[in-house]
Amino acid sequence: MSQKISKKEIIITGFGGQGIVLAGRIIGMAAALGDKKESTLVQSYGPESRGGACCAQVIISDDTIQYPYVAMADVLACMSQSAYEKYKGQLKADGFLLTDKDLVTPDGDREFFAIPSTRMAEELGRKMIANIIMIGFATSVTGVLSEKAAKEAVLASVPKGTEKLNMNAFEKGYDYGLSKLKARRKKATANTGASL
Amino acid sequence: MKNFNVILFLCNWGPHAAYQQLQEVDYQIPAEIKMVRIPCTGRITKALLFKAFEMGADGVALVGCSSGTCRYGSGTQAAINNTEDTRNIIDLLGLGKERMRLANFLPDESQLLKEFLAGFFNDILAMGKSPISPAIGKEKISLDENASAIVARHDAYSCQDCGKCTSSCPLALCGKTYSPRDIVNAIIHGEAISPQVENNINACLTCGICHERCPSDVNFPEFIRDMRCSIGGSGGNGSSRQAHGGFFQSLMRAMVSPDLKPRRGVHLPEQIRTDPESKVMFFGGCAPYFDVFFKRHHHVKTMDILTDSLKLLNFFDVHPRLFDEERCCGHDLLWSGDRSNFMRLAKLNVESIRDAGIETLITACPECFQTIRFDYENHGIDTGFNVIHLYEFLENEIDKGAVEFNHLSRKITFQDSCRLKRMEKVRGLPRKLIQRLSVEKFEEMKDSDRSALCCGNCAWTGCDSYSKALQVKRLRQAHATGSDLMVTSCPKCQIHLSCAMQDIMLGDELKMDMIDLTSVIANTICWD
Repeated sequence: MSQKISKKEIIITGFGGQGIVLAGRIIGMAAALGDKKESTLVQSYGPESRGGACCAQVIISDDTIQYPYVAMADVLACMSQSAYEKYKGQLKADGFLLTDKDLVTPDGDREFFAIPSTRMAEELGRKMIANIIMIGFATSVTGVLSEKAAKEAVLASVPKGTEKLNMNAFEKGYDYGLSKLKARRKKATANTGASL
Repeated sequence: MKNFNVILFLCNWGPHAAYQQLQEVDYQIPAEIKMVRIPCTGRITKALLFKAFEMGADGVALVGCSSGTCRYGSGTQAAINNTEDTRNIIDLLGLGKERMRLANFLPDESQLLKEFLAGFFNDILAMGKSPISPAIGKEKISLDENASAIVARHDAYSCQDCGKCTSSCPLALCGKTYSPRDIVNAIIHGEAISPQVENNINACLTCGICHERCPSDVNFPEFIRDMRCSIGGSGGNGSSRQAHGGFFQSLMRAMVSPDLKPRRGVHLPEQIRTDPESKVMFFGGCAPYFDVFFKRHHHVKTMDILTDSLKLLNFFDVHPRLFDEERCCGHDLLWSGDRSNFMRLAKLNVESIRDAGIETLITACPECFQTIRFDYENHGIDTGFNVIHLYEFLENEIDKGAVEFNHLSRKITFQDSCRLKRMEKVRGLPRKLIQRLSVEKFEEMKDSDRSALCCGNCAWTGCDSYSKALQVKRLRQAHATGSDLMVTSCPKCQIHLSCAMQDIMLGDELKMDMIDLTSVIANTICWD
């Protein structure tokens, strides 16, 4: 899908401290360095980074990007309920809504993709890698990045000594996304269970 | 043509009179028909009927009294049942049903008997020799050591006589005069192995709690396994300790014949997808045989485990290959002391699986898993393919996410498989999977996980009243949890525990629904 439409606008949002800005940075880096596209990042800082709704806006494009702010997003990834409430209006009707399953309860009946990223991060041993799980999830579900570029950007951005943990986290999110897409396909054929 | 062998089990009462009349009129019964005079056809069990095939018979006729004329009342009906089951089993084995036949005659029906014998004999000639070549009497593969070598290899000399093994042994706790430590001591000190020690060696459940507790890390189950091989459990004459008349040992030994091509022809629901070109094989195990053999005793359907496993593989888009000519993995031969034939079976299995280009073998049976994954290798047989347990596959796939479980409104408890709980790699998996389920309540039994009680038997040997006591104890523990569904992970746990539930004295006290974990998962799993 990313090949067809030249420009993708992404908002990642959540509490300050969840690694939202880093996630935005990694996505932008992956697009620019790995996928050889143009990308911009606008991050909110100030009081938000000490808690409250924090936000990173990323634009990925084949052409030069003239204006770095996101008006209507193609992808909205929410890792807190308050952030969701604040930004839900900025998502295109056919955009992807990604949420942390345990932290966000979307209203309305629009389709969304949920992943228990924080819970999975806890299971992997460190809560702070939830953002990397979300990047993996976004990579497989939305297709805005190539898997290779995303992995390289993750490795280049995380502290030394945590590469393996972060790769596990990325793969966990990536596989979850693939399973999720598979589940959608299965559901579309009304074939959800194993019993025949 | 001379070397054909047809066994005629002939009832002493009605048909024997008819047979004598044939002899009186000097009718030449073909020399290939060997007559065995028996008191009643009802007493010829499936094990005895099958034993003839194991020993190379090309055909077996069971000839008894006409319905209603049985001297003992129920003989004819028992013979009808046993014949039907045996015919179904030899059909699965690829021998063809028609090699086994039942006929009934009145004393004056010599003419009919004559026609039957001639017809049956001709049919057998037309079918040709049986593909089974008797494994008994074949040269033993000499891997078996003497007792002192086994004691040394398992470091049983380091036994400190502390008695922890005895105080944890489920058999001893059920009141049997049984002590692993005593067995080891007797073998270390004894010149020859006495019948009592030999009995005890055969009575071990090989459940491994003693090894779990042993401060000197003596692997008692494997020590017992090697001792059984050493004292020649293979004997061939059917050790008196073998359960079900040694039927399963016979069945496995029959499968050692290279020319035998089993036709398991497993009947699967239509929607199940398998792929004859797949590099992934699902190893089904003995379920088809079990279900035929036990169908009259209790309502065990171990085939469900097989079909539910396939459903789950399909659920995750794996379309495995099934082997129609699959043989037994050999677990029970090895653990009942017949290492020679275990080795033959293992080689046949590995050859045929490798020749089919299989890269990964998945099985849901704890015994098949342990045997093919570890025991083949430990016996110097290099498999060259990957062996994984279904639970490993499931945990891996479910962990990827996007999978949910529908609620099951049952209170469950879990019966550990002695084989799974002793393999580090997989021992935690059943509980991990159970935790993922959505059930009303999951309650552990008093003895669980590493200390779990055995289902009472191993490798179809040594079933006795203490096994029964153990099973009753286990079922009472299950009831004490307040659960209404016992989840199992080994088909044999289901067979043995449901046997104990049939106790007429204890009535409904022991009854409890049982289901395999694989089936629970298959019934409740869904895409999120």
